[in-house]
Amino acid sequence: MRLVVRLLVQRVLFALPILFAVVLFTFFLIRIGNNDPVGMLAGPTADAATVAAVKASYKLDQPQWRQFAEFASKVLQGDLGRSWLSNQPVTQELLARLPATLELVVWGALVGAGIGIPAGMMAAMGANRGFDHVSRLFSLFGFGMPTIFLGLALIFIFFFVLGWAPPPMGRIDLMIAAPPVVTGSYLLDAVLAGDIGATRSAAGRLVLPCASVAIVYAAPLIKQTRAIALDVLGSDYVRYARASGMPPSMVRGMVWRNASVPVITYAATELTALFGAASVLELIFSWGGVSQYGLSAILKGDFAVVQGYVLVMSLIAMVIFALADLLVMWIEPRARAVAG
Amino acid sequence: MSLPASLAAVPAPGRRWFKQMAALARLSPTGVVGLALVGCFALLAIFAGLLAPYDPIQPFSDQVLAAPGKRFWLGTDGNGMDVLSRTVYGARYAFGIAVPVLLFGMILGIPIGLYAGYRGGWVDEVTLRIMDALRVFPSIILALAIVAATGQSLANVVLVIGILDVPVFARLVRAEVLALRAGGFVEAAVNAGNPTWRILFVHLLPNCLRGALAQMPIRMAWAVRVSATLAFIGVGIQVPTPEWGAMIRQGSEYIISGEWWVSIVPGLALVALVIGFSMLGDGLEEALDPRRNRSAR
Repeated sequence: MRLVVRLLVQRVLFALPILFAVVLFTFFLIRIGNNDPVGMLAGPTADAATVAAVKASYKLDQPQWRQFAEFASKVLQGDLGRSWLSNQPVTQELLARLPATLELVVWGALVGAGIGIPAGMMAAMGANRGFDHVSRLFSLFGFGMPTIFLGLALIFIFFFVLGWAPPPMGRIDLMIAAPPVVTGSYLLDAVLAGDIGATRSAAGRLVLPCASVAIVYAAPLIKQTRAIALDVLGSDYVRYARASGMPPSMVRGMVWRNASVPVITYAATELTALFGAASVLELIFSWGGVSQYGLSAILKGDFAVVQGYVLVMSLIAMVIFALADLLVMWIEPRARAVAG
Repeated sequence: MSLPASLAAVPAPGRRWFKQMAALARLSPTGVVGLALVGCFALLAIFAGLLAPYDPIQPFSDQVLAAPGKRFWLGTDGNGMDVLSRTVYGARYAFGIAVPVLLFGMILGIPIGLYAGYRGGWVDEVTLRIMDALRVFPSIILALAIVAATGQSLANVVLVIGILDVPVFARLVRAEVLALRAGGFVEAAVNAGNPTWRILFVHLLPNCLRGALAQMPIRMAWAVRVSATLAFIGVGIQVPTPEWGAMIRQGSEYIISGEWWVSIVPGLALVALVIGFSMLGDGLEEALDPRRNRSAR
C-alpha cells in the first residue's frame, strides 16, 4: 500500500511538467490563429465602448503572461471559463457529457481488449496456422478501416440493409426516460433500476458504436500481442521449459506472464488514441458525449470550449498512463523493485 | 546485438537496396499486394484527368443523387456531381497530403533523432520529454484543434499532420543511433576528425534508415486516414473539393435514407489505399527485420 502511495506521488511529480505544457498549449491554442473572441462575445453590432468593456471584463487588455497566470490558476481550480457562444460554464458542460463518452469507450475497450489480447496470444501460439492467418487478416482490415468509414458501413449494413440495429441517434430511445443515475452508464443504470425497456433500448443503441470502438481497439492489439508473445516464445527459458517437457498449458501461462507487461503498456498507449477514434464515432452516432460537444465547438470557432475539451482529453490520457503503470507495478515484481 | 554480424549484413547501399527489394518480393507476398494496390492508386492520381469520365466539380442539376447506372457508373452526389470522377480525383488529394506530410516528418524528425541519439545527455533527455508530451494528446484531436485555430487551409492540414509525424521518426532514428553509437566505425570517424554533421549524415544516417524505411508506408496510411478524418469532421477541406473524407461526410446524411453510393464509394477507395499502405509497410517490416528473415527461411 505504501508502495502504491509512493508511486502515485511519483507519477504526479512526473506529470506536472507535462500538465504545465498542456495548459500552456491550450492557452496559446486560441492565440495562434486570427480568432476574434471579443467580436464573438460582443456581437457583430457592438460599438467601440462595448468592445472595450468586453475586453476589460475578460481581462484581454492585460499582458499575455498575466492572462496566462489567470488562466492557469483558474484551470487548477477546475474552472475552464465560459463558452463564447452560449456563455455556459465549460467545466459543468463537459462533466455532464463525460459519462456518455466513458460509456462508449470503456465498453468498447473492454470488448476490444477481451477479443484482441487472447486472439493475439492464440495467434502467436499457433503461428502460421489457420487461426493466425484469420487474425492477421482481421487486424489488417481493422487497422485499414478508417473509423469514419467503419461507423458508417456498420450503420449501412445493420440499420439500413438488415434493419437489426436501432437508428444511430443517441444513447437511448427518445420515448424512453433515462434511468436514474448511479454509475453514469445508461446500460448499467437501467439494469440496476430493473427497467427492462430502458435496458433493451440502451443496449441496442450501444451495440454498433461499441462494436466500432472494439474493432478499432482490437486490431492493433492483436498484432502487437502476437509480436510480443512470439518474442517471448523464442526466448531461451521458454525453449528450455518446452524441452524439459512442461505441459503446453503451463507454457502458455508462462508466456502470458512474461508478455503481459509490454502488452498492457501498449494497450494503454492505444487506449489514449482510442479516445480520438471514439470522438468521430460520437459524431456519427449523435452520442452526445464530450467529443461531440468539443468537435462541434471546433467547427463553430468556440475556442473557450475547445480549450476545455483538449485539456480534459489530455487529462484522461495522463490518468490512463498512470493507471497502466500501477497495473504493471502490481503484476511485475521487477518494476516494483525499481520504484521502491 | 553483436556488432560484427550486423555490419557484415550491410553491403554497399546500392546493392543493398536492390537485394532488399528482391528479398521483399520473396519473403512477403503481403508487401507485393500492398505495393500493387498503392501503385494502382498512384496511377489513378497521376492520370485522373484522363480516367475520370466527368469534371469532378461539375454539377448536373437534373441528376441529383442519381443511382449508379449507365450514364453515371457510380451515381451522383447531393450536388449532382459524378461520384466516380470525384473518387478518382480524390486519389490526388490523398497522395497530395500524404507525401508532403511524410517528407515533412522525415526531414525534421530524422535529424532531431540523429542529433539527440548521438549527443545523449540533457539534449536527448529534453527532446524525449517534448516528444513524450506530444504523445499525450490523441493526435486526431490535437490536429483538429490546431487546424481550426490557425485557419482552415490545405497547407495547414499538411503542416499540422506533418508536425505530428516528427516524433515518430525522431524516436525511431534515435533508438537506432543509440545502438550504433558504441560501434567501432563511429569511434573511427570521430578520431579521423570528421565534423559532427558528417558523422551524423554520412556515417550514421545510412545505417539507421532501415527502420524508417519500413515505417514510411505505415505513416502514409496514417496520414491518409487522419486527413480524411479531418475533412470528414469538416475542418481544413471543404465540400465540393473532391477529397474522400469530405465526400464521405457529404454522403453520411444520405446513408440512412438509402443513397449509399455517395459515401460508400469514396469510403471503399479510402479503405483500399490505407490497407495497401499497411500491407506494404508490413511487408517491408518483414523483409527488413533481420530476425524474422532467418526464421522465415
